Amino acid sequence: MSEATLTISPVENEIKPRTEVNGHDSSMLISMRNIWKTYQMGTESVHALHGVSFDIPRGEYIAIIGPSGSGKSTLMNLIGCLDTPTQGQYWLNGKNVSEMDDDELARIRNQEVGFVFQTFNLLARATALHNVELPLIYGGVSASQRHEMAKQALKAVDLSDRITHKPNELSGGQRQRVAIARALVNHPSILLADEPTGALDSHTSMEIMDLFERLHSEGNTIIVVTHEHDIAARAHRVVSIRDGLIEKDERIR
Amino acid sequence: MIRLAAIWEAFRVATASLRANKLRTALTLMGIVVGVSAVIAVVTIIDGLNQTVAQTFSSQGSTVFTISKNPQIIKSREEFVKFNRRKDVTHEDAEAITRLCTACWRVGIAANAIETVKYANQKAENVRIRGIDPLTMFEIDGRTIDVGRIWTESEGASGREICVIGPDMLKNLFAEAPADKAVGQEIRIDGRPYLVLGVLEPLGSILGFSRDNVVYIPYSTYQKAYGGRRSLVAFIQVPSAEQLEAAEDQVRTIMRNRRHSSGDGDDEGFALETQDVFLNLYGSATSNIYIVTVLVSGVSLIVGAIVVMNIMLVSVTERTKEIGIRKAVGARRKDILTQFLIEAVTVTALGGVIGVGTGFGLAYVISALIGFPLLISAASAALGVGISSLAGILSGMWPAWRAARLDPIEALRAE
Repeated sequence: MSEATLTISPVENEIKPRTEVNGHDSSMLISMRNIWKTYQMGTESVHALHGVSFDIPRGEYIAIIGPSGSGKSTLMNLIGCLDTPTQGQYWLNGKNVSEMDDDELARIRNQEVGFVFQTFNLLARATALHNVELPLIYGGVSASQRHEMAKQALKAVDLSDRITHKPNELSGGQRQRVAIARALVNHPSILLADEPTGALDSHTSMEIMDLFERLHSEGNTIIVVTHEHDIAARAHRVVSIRDGLIEKDERIR
Repeated sequence: MIRLAAIWEAFRVATASLRANKLRTALTLMGIVVGVSAVIAVVTIIDGLNQTVAQTFSSQGSTVFTISKNPQIIKSREEFVKFNRRKDVTHEDAEAITRLCTACWRVGIAANAIETVKYANQKAENVRIRGIDPLTMFEIDGRTIDVGRIWTESEGASGREICVIGPDMLKNLFAEAPADKAVGQEIRIDGRPYLVLGVLEPLGSILGFSRDNVVYIPYSTYQKAYGGRRSLVAFIQVPSAEQLEAAEDQVRTIMRNRRHSSGDGDDEGFALETQDVFLNLYGSATSNIYIVTVLVSGVSLIVGAIVVMNIMLVSVTERTKEIGIRKAVGARRKDILTQFLIEAVTVTALGGVIGVGTGFGLAYVISALIGFPLLISAASAALGVGISSLAGILSGMWPAWRAARLDPIEALRAE
């Protein structure tokens, strides 16, 4: 297996004409239509999202920005298939995930989504290699293939010399790179990063953002959720969320 | 379908987390270990006892029954008083049975006394002196001569001080000398000298009581030494177990006639018993021990299972974040469920294995102390581990289900 397998083939869909099927654009990697998320707080209904619609084509590098309480975390959870919308339709890579049950969502997360979290969320007792293997274990990949794929993913984030280290033996930047390797190991459709530099110093933050840029140039679709404007500015498109609605959606490069 | 890799991952995680919390693991194991080792120890000990008892009683077998004044087991004071009013079983009763019972094969009488036996400056205490008549009583008792001879019929009737000794006498009186050294020697019982004619083959011991700590003497001699007014026990043997019932019926009729009893309601005036009395008593005693042990160990297994459940709930709470991470990367409910179930079963199965080990160890010590064979059965070992694994599944179910149902978003937020 070569490094090239980590890249998703460059965007073809962008040039195709938009084709609406069943109310969604089938050429889009992500297509959200009138998404509502309502939480029941006692007798009161709180709308975290009210009617959000947008599309993300394959290979895009997009930032979702908004202050806390804006609904961006809710939106991220929905995009990452950790949750389902109260109302509305969400197609991810051609699959309608808005009505899936827990186990189907787990499968989608396993196959289609690579998460990068602010606090890395690595298993403390496991080595870097084992952490990266984790999605493959639940994906049913054989042990030898798992090792090979995990090593390749760690190589892609320049951590080949740290594969037997446990998280507490790694620096913050290295931990985040392990998390990125874990996110990429299954060749997901999207790399979904939630405040990926929130726990890092500015120098390490830049390194991680450079890595994202490189991964994007290799064809990965990257979604970064952040409240920091300079992090959002590294993306090619910025979607601003406020009060559960899309306030602005602009292409910046 | 649960993937093999996920199961292996679960097992790996389980053992790692058990290793990481050694003290907690040890405490968790305790209840299961106590429960399982109690069951294993008792089952093993009772198996050993059963084998000993079965072997012992089959040597006399179920072809022999007895007529006596008092039954072997007296259940109450009232019974004791009632039996003491009965007439003694006498030589004449035995003769009547010999004469009248056509289904009977061998009939003999025996009376016992406990004495101290001396030879030179050696002495053996608590020796059973068994006065018997006729010579077939040796066969009824399942006794065979090892060295020397038994007395002749005329010697037996003469009242002379002659005897045949059990092999324990060699050990206790003759300093483990070979049997032929004892033959022809004179031993003293209650001050009277007895000539040793022969030495018996050993029969071994039941539950620590030797059956070879015995001296056989002719009944005529016994009568001379201890008086004729003691109640006898008449032994009746039939050729095979099938004839037992017919012989018992005949003997019962003969004895009722001699005691002028009707057999309906009022006391018959004698006790007719087979060795089954012992076996039944033994069986009911051991089955009670079984039941008590099963209850006690059942309780300790339940307590153990509750401890495991408690610890697993703590473990789930502690590892909420880990569960969230696993769910985020694609673990399904059943993957998480399996992981925690396997963890619970790993603990309890480990407890089961340790419990089986200590149970056998305990049984070994006790069997060595009491003196019966240790029967280590693979079935009881498998049962011990099986039951404890089952306890693991039952106690792990609820915590595992809680873990599996955790919302990944909530779980990821946990610290």
